[in-house]
Amino acid sequence: MALNPSSERVYEHRLDNGLWLLFEPMPWLPTLSTTLMVPFGSATDPDGQEGSATVLHDWIQRGAGKLDSRAHSDALEGLGVRRGGGAGREMASLSASFLASELAEVLPLVASMVAEPRLDEHEFAPARELAQQELHSLADNPTQRLFNELMARFLEGGQGRSPYGTEAGLAALRAEGIRQDASRRLGPGGAILALAGGATWDAVKDGVERAFGGWRGSSVDLPEPVLQRPGRAHVAADSAQTQIGLAFPAPLPSDPDAYVYDLALHVLSGSMGARLFTEVREKRGLVYSVGASYRALHGFGYTLGYAGTTPERADETLRVVLAELARLSEGVAGDELERARVGTLSSVVMQGESSSARASRLASDALLRGRARTLEEIRVEVEKVDLAHMNDYLAEHPFPDPTVVTLGPRPLAEEVAA
Amino acid sequence: MSVDTSGAAQGAALRSDRTVLGNGLTVVGEHNPFAATVAAGYFVRTGARDETAEIAGVSHFLEHMMFKGTDRRTAADINRSFDELGAQYNAFTSEERTVYYGAVLPERLSELLDLLSDMMRPALRQEDFDVEKNVILEEIAMYEDRPHFRVFEVAGRRFWNGHPLGHSVLGGQDSIRALTREQMLTYFGRRYAPSNLILAVAGAYDWEAVTEEVASLTGAWEPFDAGRALARPDPAQGTGETEDSKLERVHTAVFAPGYAADDERRYAAAILGSVLGDDSGSRLFWSLVDKGLADSASLGHEASDGAGAFVGYVSSAPERATEVLDIYRRVLVQAQDDTLDAEEWRRAQRKLATGLTLRAETPLGRLVSLGVGYQSLGRYQSVQDVVDAVMRSSLEGGRALLADRPFDRLYLHTLGPANVPS
Repeated sequence: MALNPSSERVYEHRLDNGLWLLFEPMPWLPTLSTTLMVPFGSATDPDGQEGSATVLHDWIQRGAGKLDSRAHSDALEGLGVRRGGGAGREMASLSASFLASELAEVLPLVASMVAEPRLDEHEFAPARELAQQELHSLADNPTQRLFNELMARFLEGGQGRSPYGTEAGLAALRAEGIRQDASRRLGPGGAILALAGGATWDAVKDGVERAFGGWRGSSVDLPEPVLQRPGRAHVAADSAQTQIGLAFPAPLPSDPDAYVYDLALHVLSGSMGARLFTEVREKRGLVYSVGASYRALHGFGYTLGYAGTTPERADETLRVVLAELARLSEGVAGDELERARVGTLSSVVMQGESSSARASRLASDALLRGRARTLEEIRVEVEKVDLAHMNDYLAEHPFPDPTVVTLGPRPLAEEVAA
Repeated sequence: MSVDTSGAAQGAALRSDRTVLGNGLTVVGEHNPFAATVAAGYFVRTGARDETAEIAGVSHFLEHMMFKGTDRRTAADINRSFDELGAQYNAFTSEERTVYYGAVLPERLSELLDLLSDMMRPALRQEDFDVEKNVILEEIAMYEDRPHFRVFEVAGRRFWNGHPLGHSVLGGQDSIRALTREQMLTYFGRRYAPSNLILAVAGAYDWEAVTEEVASLTGAWEPFDAGRALARPDPAQGTGETEDSKLERVHTAVFAPGYAADDERRYAAAILGSVLGDDSGSRLFWSLVDKGLADSASLGHEASDGAGAFVGYVSSAPERATEVLDIYRRVLVQAQDDTLDAEEWRRAQRKLATGLTLRAETPLGRLVSLGVGYQSLGRYQSVQDVVDAVMRSSLEGGRALLADRPFDRLYLHTLGPANVPS
């Protein structure tokens, strides 16, 4: 299988302040993408100030260094930078994509948001107000609401908290409190900066040293994710569809059998030919959307499942989904594994063509595995997985009981919900 | 000012290809020697605008049915074949077009072309039609729970005021329930003419092999005429509202007259849309989102076949809706009264140029702009051509658009809980 030559190499460097820099060159591209991940998120929001990370993430983008909010934004946009990011459960991210020729000018503007945010008083109220608006908008977004409710019942404490925060938490926030929060957890320790695209390692390393070398500040440790006991819950909502969400623990990304698990999940839900789509949608026409996907937090892996269907078909939909989860422990067929393998390998190559996809994969590998992987390494590991071992693994590790949350006009029937 | 999008001589190395087959099918390509993959897709010039009320939603339902089997393949065969190719694939339907596409490693291109071409002559079996109808009804129910989407269904219909661009892509529960397989067959027979399709290929390929294979795969397709009458739009202006007591927020869709996909002013219109309503750094952003008055406030320009529109959205708390909508409207109207600033124009140009370049990083991303561009203009445009056109588009051109005062002719539609004044 042909891979681009650049996938042979990921460059890494640890700055003196602790920031971990990773770079993968894609010399044929005119573009460059960066992902900066800083370890503050809703899991480490101070008690009673739920939503703090989201407000902090917004506030640091409202002026930095010598530039006020407007001037800072204009400077980035004048360079044609496309921005993204947000505060998550464990990490907050700032991403940017731009023409590689602008690297030296873009980096200081990105760095200043974390190294010298102004946190001007008059920008605090609108930052908090915006977070409150977004929290209220959740009410009109049943799917997002479902996943917040599901995570709150799946994990204890920190990681169970939604980055949207709570009404009371947001109301309790004060500018001075967020400034203290920034001094507590907006530091370079545990932060990751990943870049991919059409630049040289020398230019990237020099530019990053210059822009981020002066960043100081402390960081907080993440709490260990703690599981709640699996159970069932229903959240009443006046919606056209019943939203069904499932969550259960899965191996860590660094687990020796992580690739086995990943391919098994691909057999279950990796494509329109996969088992869930075939059984729930193609054969029975129960849903438009159904699927399962792997997620990871620091030191914890899990799988999320989802189906959306009209209330009268919700019982049958959940029954079929659960049956497919259970059936996986009976093993997969050789042709199913081969399709999952070719799909995974092909998507690795496709991901390798996009600068933003590569930058975010580098960042998540660094975060969750503690090291970067080349595309070649992934290819070799995926090729290694064999059918007999996979089926032994699946027989020995049936999926654990899931936490199931439904959101819709009425709860599911007893025999399914019991 | 110019922006160079070519990395390591990539721009110079791109090659465009085009062949029109005997049956009228146009095959176009953009060969990229640096690509590790290849994407291919059929772009069909048919969509909701080509439907009557009786068959509303048939284009989209048909798009689903195209995956349900052919004389050679069952639905399961099609899904399994895509998986065996390691393809990333999907399809979408809009008012304008229906697109079926996939991306694979170069050595699987021949099989992908075989599969996609076979799908273009579907079996449309009754039993598959009956099961898939339920999936379509579930999709309609899913969007009912998405007010951000729903408000555009209503607002588009009102704004386009009888023009086919206001048709719903999904159709309604009633039209879908009543739709028969025979009606779908008739529609298919009217719209899927070889001359109404473009096959686009982007990335790593051998053109001679592609055209030979496609000619053989599609040789039996009978040519016929599948035109599209371009009615002149007479868009509505003013306001409308839909009440839904279940909602917490007020969702507002905004429309104003714009420019067609082959109108040179579309570039200036896109830049103007970004100046006024990009997600970041635009006038609406600073007036509403930055201040925390609305969690979303945007505007962009959508250029379609024969007509176009500025299309926007704003979400706010019910108690603030009046204030927010006043500000939204004032930002647009004031842009007509004061003037555009050279710096904000340049920033929007540069953001658009970056966005166009980023989307073209992958063959799959490039495929869509390649196919849509060919379909709209009947000719090839490289990404650099489009970026150049954006960067050349002058501030005076933007001012000329504002001198036509499109935002005096706004249509705003609100969807939210009761008693929201618009």
